[in-house]
Amino acid sequence: MISLRNVWVVAERDLRTFLNYKHVLIMRALWFLAQIALFGLVVNKMLRPDVQEAVGGSYFSFYAAGIIISLLYSTSVFIGYDIYEEADHGVIEYLLSLPVSRKELVLGRSIGGGLRSFLYVSPMLMVVLYLIWSSNPQSFVSPLQLFIAFLALFLFTFGVSGFSITLAVSIKSSDKFDIFLGMINALIVRLSTTLYPLVYMPSYYAGIAQFNPLTFAADLFRWGAGLESAVLTAPAIAIFGIISFFSLFTFLGIFLHERVLEGGSWQ
Amino acid sequence: MPKPIIRIVNLTKKFGNLTAVDHLNLEIEEGEILGLLGPNGAGKTTTLLMLTTVLRPTEGTAFVGPYDVTQEPDKARTLVGMAFQDPKVLWVSTPWDILNWHAKVCGIPSNEREKRLRWVLEEVGLWNERRKSVHTFSGGMRKRIEVAKILVQRPKIAIIDEPTTQIDIVGKHRIWNMIRSLRDEGSTILLATNELYEADVLSDRVAIIHRGKLLVCDNPKKLKDSIPGGDVIEVVLGKDVSKKCLEEVERMNRVVDVLSTKPNHLKIYLNKAEEVLPQITEFFLKMRIPIKSVQMSEPTLDDVFAHYTGLTIEEAEKR
Ligand SMILES: Nc1ncnc2c1ncn2[C@@H]1O[C@H](COP(=O)(O)OP(=O)(O)OP(=O)(O)O)[C@@H](O)[C@H]1O
Ligand SMILES: [Mg+2]
Repeated sequence: MISLRNVWVVAERDLRTFLNYKHVLIMRALWFLAQIALFGLVVNKMLRPDVQEAVGGSYFSFYAAGIIISLLYSTSVFIGYDIYEEADHGVIEYLLSLPVSRKELVLGRSIGGGLRSFLYVSPMLMVVLYLIWSSNPQSFVSPLQLFIAFLALFLFTFGVSGFSITLAVSIKSSDKFDIFLGMINALIVRLSTTLYPLVYMPSYYAGIAQFNPLTFAADLFRWGAGLESAVLTAPAIAIFGIISFFSLFTFLGIFLHERVLEGGSWQ
Repeated sequence: MPKPIIRIVNLTKKFGNLTAVDHLNLEIEEGEILGLLGPNGAGKTTTLLMLTTVLRPTEGTAFVGPYDVTQEPDKARTLVGMAFQDPKVLWVSTPWDILNWHAKVCGIPSNEREKRLRWVLEEVGLWNERRKSVHTFSGGMRKRIEVAKILVQRPKIAIIDEPTTQIDIVGKHRIWNMIRSLRDEGSTILLATNELYEADVLSDRVAIIHRGKLLVCDNPKKLKDSIPGGDVIEVVLGKDVSKKCLEEVERMNRVVDVLSTKPNHLKIYLNKAEEVLPQITEFFLKMRIPIKSVQMSEPTLDDVFAHYTGLTIEEAEKR
């Protein structure tokens, strides 16, 4: 049996730790502003009307929605770095000794790591929604679609933190984790539809990108925000993809904590 | 005899070629304070970490209450709380946040939490520093936070790894008193230490371990009495003693050996010195030999350790 109270207490701790990243949080917000106000606007001007049409009327809106997903991803993977910081101070052993089950611990941390990213990104998400809706006044927004998209984004952030936790506890060396995650970060955004749709990618890239959770999240968010177009992944597939992603890494994280992980083995 | 609340069965932990804990068998009774005494590297911490399911046994197991730590680790952990040897605190936190979250995750309701936190923080002398970030704290202050966790939690089984290292002498006594009152409130306490005095004054029973193996386990008094000739009485007499006299002392009950360092100066090795001393003084009075001074010394746990290993604890730590 999983106690929701325990899950929440664990999550609450990770929510709190996030406030210690003031510098990073400010940098990320500035990055967001620059991407929207500079890059997005300039690229938008360069694109032919038929391209704009293909991505749902405005590349800028398409792009702004993608930036939110990229931001959600990059703040949700933070939890892996927290785990190394904790390993340095032996806090992992402390967490493993507590009267909460490993399931509660992993779920709590995935949720805490995802929720804090969601809360942090939400003001920027509001800005993006405002920009989308004010530049495409004709885009029809169904509250139900938006709600479903938000739920899926929650799940997406939990999945990303579960992924980061799994990676951290299986690599166990902060140097290797840094390199590995840096590599993944560089590819995972570019091999997804956060910046451009699948139809414009060479087929061998698109072949990979269509299974990328960032693709599911970005396309679903666009769908929820009313930017419907033929280039997006079908919502049902995207929802299924996100649920699978979340389940896979939650399961792996729990498996590692229950069967493999123990104290004192970190570098 | 009360039933054991922890039962350690053939518990073994290997790290590569090194056997840190070697087929350890030990039972801890409900409501006692059991001191695990051993030199550095004896395997104390490794044992405790297996009991809290932070480490997995290579072989054997332990039962915490009814739960086998290898089969039902999640349940076993609901009964235990651990204060670690090295304080486990992130440098960004404050004592209040650390302890408050700890109490919360251990399921202590919020009204009770505030009271306990205040009491414990005052007792360990950190009340005024409760809102300061721990990165400015000294080693001893961090250690106090670590011990405070268990005092706030009051678990059924409290596992405490070297509670007073780095803590000053006033602090030590306070912590010992708090550990005793924790026991009086119903917790069972398993405590690892390499300080003889701490093991002696605090424990109902002491288990001495060396190289991952249990040497002996009993109450400190019995352990000391178990060393043949462990007590020493030194007597300085007003007259030289004859050989015959010496032999008579040697024949007394419980006396193991008599050494005459000078003709009027005896060193008597024996057990239960406090019971034999009156007999000895009476004997010399009867022989009309005046006694100038008597000094009695008991063996320490170090002598007990030396008796079983041939090494003092200090020597063992150097190896
Ligand atoms: N994670 C680990 N990896 C490899 N060896 C380890 C690990 N943890 C402990 N050891 C080794 O196991 C042995 C027992 O260590 P342990 O920490 O249990 O000793 P201890 O009795 O607690 O000593 P101390 O009084 O110094 O705290 C030591 O030789 C130590 O080097
Ligand atoms: Mg130790």
